[in-house]
Amino acid sequence: MSDRRVIIVGAGPAGMSAALAMVRAGVRPLVIDDNPRPGGQIYRQPTPATQAVSTATKNPLVHEFLQQQDKFEWMVETTAWGIFPTRRLAITRHAQSDIVAAEHLLLAPGAYEYLPPFPGWTLPGVMTPGGAQSLVKSMGVMPGKRALVAGSGPFLLVVAEQLHRAGVEVPAVVEMAGTGEVWGALPRLLRHPRLLWEGAAYHRRLRRAGIPLLRGHVLIEARGAGEVREAVIAPCDENGNPDRGRTRTFAVDTICAGYGFVPRVQLAQMAGCRLLFVDAIGGWVPLVNDELETSATGVWVAGDGGGVAGALVAELEGALSGHAICRRLGAIDQGSYDRLCKPIQRQLARLAKFRAVLDRVFRIRPGLTTLADANTIVCRCEELARSEVEAGVAVGGTDLPTLKVMTRLGMGPCQGLMCWPATARLIAERTGRSVEAVGPWSPRPPIMPVTLGALIDNRPLLGENDTVKRDGITSR
Amino acid sequence: MSSSNREPAIAFDLANRSVTGTVKFTFDGQELRAHEGDTIAAAILATGERCLRVTSRRSEPRGLFCGMGVCFDCLVQVDGRPNVQACRTTVTNGMRVETQHGAGVVEPGP
Repeated sequence: MSDRRVIIVGAGPAGMSAALAMVRAGVRPLVIDDNPRPGGQIYRQPTPATQAVSTATKNPLVHEFLQQQDKFEWMVETTAWGIFPTRRLAITRHAQSDIVAAEHLLLAPGAYEYLPPFPGWTLPGVMTPGGAQSLVKSMGVMPGKRALVAGSGPFLLVVAEQLHRAGVEVPAVVEMAGTGEVWGALPRLLRHPRLLWEGAAYHRRLRRAGIPLLRGHVLIEARGAGEVREAVIAPCDENGNPDRGRTRTFAVDTICAGYGFVPRVQLAQMAGCRLLFVDAIGGWVPLVNDELETSATGVWVAGDGGGVAGALVAELEGALSGHAICRRLGAIDQGSYDRLCKPIQRQLARLAKFRAVLDRVFRIRPGLTTLADANTIVCRCEELARSEVEAGVAVGGTDLPTLKVMTRLGMGPCQGLMCWPATARLIAERTGRSVEAVGPWSPRPPIMPVTLGALIDNRPLLGENDTVKRDGITSR
Repeated sequence: MSSSNREPAIAFDLANRSVTGTVKFTFDGQELRAHEGDTIAAAILATGERCLRVTSRRSEPRGLFCGMGVCFDCLVQVDGRPNVQACRTTVTNGMRVETQHGAGVVEPGP
C-alpha cells in the first residue's frame, strides 16, 4: 500500500480536465482508468488500426491530457473495485492488485446506459446505442446490416447518424417522447442557441438520410430465434404506455435501445457519501456542495458519475473540483480559486437550466415497467424472470438488499448494475411507493470481478506513463 | 449526453473487414482475421457472428450488449480461460477464442 496526495478515478472528460487543472497548479495526481486509452466513453479514442485511416482530429482535451502525461501518474487498464476507510482505494491491473490511499479522492466514473427489460432484450443483436457506437466509432465495425434505434434522448440521433454513415441501414429512430412535448420545450431551449443548433443539425442529417424519427413510440419487443430478427414498436401515451392494438414490426438484425444513463455511484457509496435521489439526472447521486465535495471529507465527485449531464458539464465539473482540491492542498490561493471557478460555476448554472428542460422531455416513464412479461429476464446475470422477482417482492423483498438475498438478483458478475434501476421501479410499482422510497442498491466490494490470483499478487502498482505511447496514440 | 463528440471518418472497407485484417485468431476452431486494436467482440461481430456465450440456466444465447465492460454478457473463453470480457479484451495473434457455455471450463495449464 502506498499514499498519494490525489487520486482521480476515471479519465473521461471530468477526470481529464481535473487532472489538467491540478497539473497547472503543480499538483501531481494519480489518474487511473480501466480502458487502454483516455477519453472515457464519450471521447473514446480510435484503435491504432482505425487511427491509421481516420481523418478525424483528436479531441482537444484528450490531446492536451496526453501531452501533459509526464506531469501526472497514469495507470491504464486499472480497475477500482472497492473503497475502504479512509479513502483507501482497492485496484487491480493485469492480475495484480494493490490498495492506494489518498488525501483527496476524486471520483469520475461516468455513467452507463439504462435499458429496462422487455421481451427479447437478451437476444444477441440487441445492444445499447453506446455499445453500437463504440464498434463503429473506434473500430470501424458494423454491429449489423439493419438496425432499429429506439429509446429516448438526443443520444439516439447521434448514434443513428453514425450507424448510417458507417453503412448500416437504419429503418427508423423510435423516440418515446411525443412530438408535442419536444416542440413545447423549444422556447425554453432558445437561450442556448449553440446547443439547440447542434440538435437541429442531427435532425437535419437524419432527414437527409431518409431515416424517419417516430416520436411518441416505444419499442415493445425483440423477436428471433438465436438472434434478433424483428423489432416490434407501438405508439405510446405520455406515460409511455404502449397501445398494443397498433403495433408495427420492422425486419432488422440489430436493435440499439437506451433510455438515458445511470450514474456509477458504487464507489461513492462505499466511501460513505450520502446519496440523494434526483430522478431527472439518473436516480441516486452523491450529495455534493458547490465545489463538488461529497459528505465524506476529501471525497469529490465530478461528471456523469455525480448525475448525468453530458460531456460539456463533466469537463467543467472536472476543472471546478480540480481547482477546489488544489486550493484545499494550498497549491492555489483563494483569489486564484475565485478567478478560475466563478466563471465555471456561472456556466454550469446556465447549462443546468438547459439540461433540466431536456431531462424533463426525455424522462423515464412508468409505462416502461409494463413492457416485461412474466417470463422476461430481469436480472441478466442470474437469469431471473420478472415472475421470480415479483414472487420475491410479494414475500417481503420490498427493498433491493433484501430482494438480493432472497432471489440472487444482482449477485452475478455485473453486481446489479444492469438490473437494479429497473427492479427499483418494479418494486415501487408493486408496493405503491415512490422509487426514492424503495431506496438505493447496496454495493459490496468487489464491484467488479477480481480473481483470487490478483488478490494474492498484492504489490505496489506504479504508474505506467509509457503505455499510451506504446499504443502509438501520442504521435501527432 | 452531449452530441459534441467528434467521431472519426471511418475509411475501412467495412464489408470486407474480416478478410483484410492482419491479426489471426480462431473462434470455435474457425480461423478469423481482425484489425490491430480490435476487441474480441468487434472482431467476431465483423464476421456476422453474434452469439458469444450460452447461459447456464436457460441455455440461451447472448452477445455483445453494453460494449463498455459493465454488463458481463459477452463473456468468452480465451486460451482455455473462462469469463473473459469480449468487449474489453483486445484480440491478439494466435488467440484461441471459444463460445463460453455456462460457467465455462478452466483448462489445466501447460
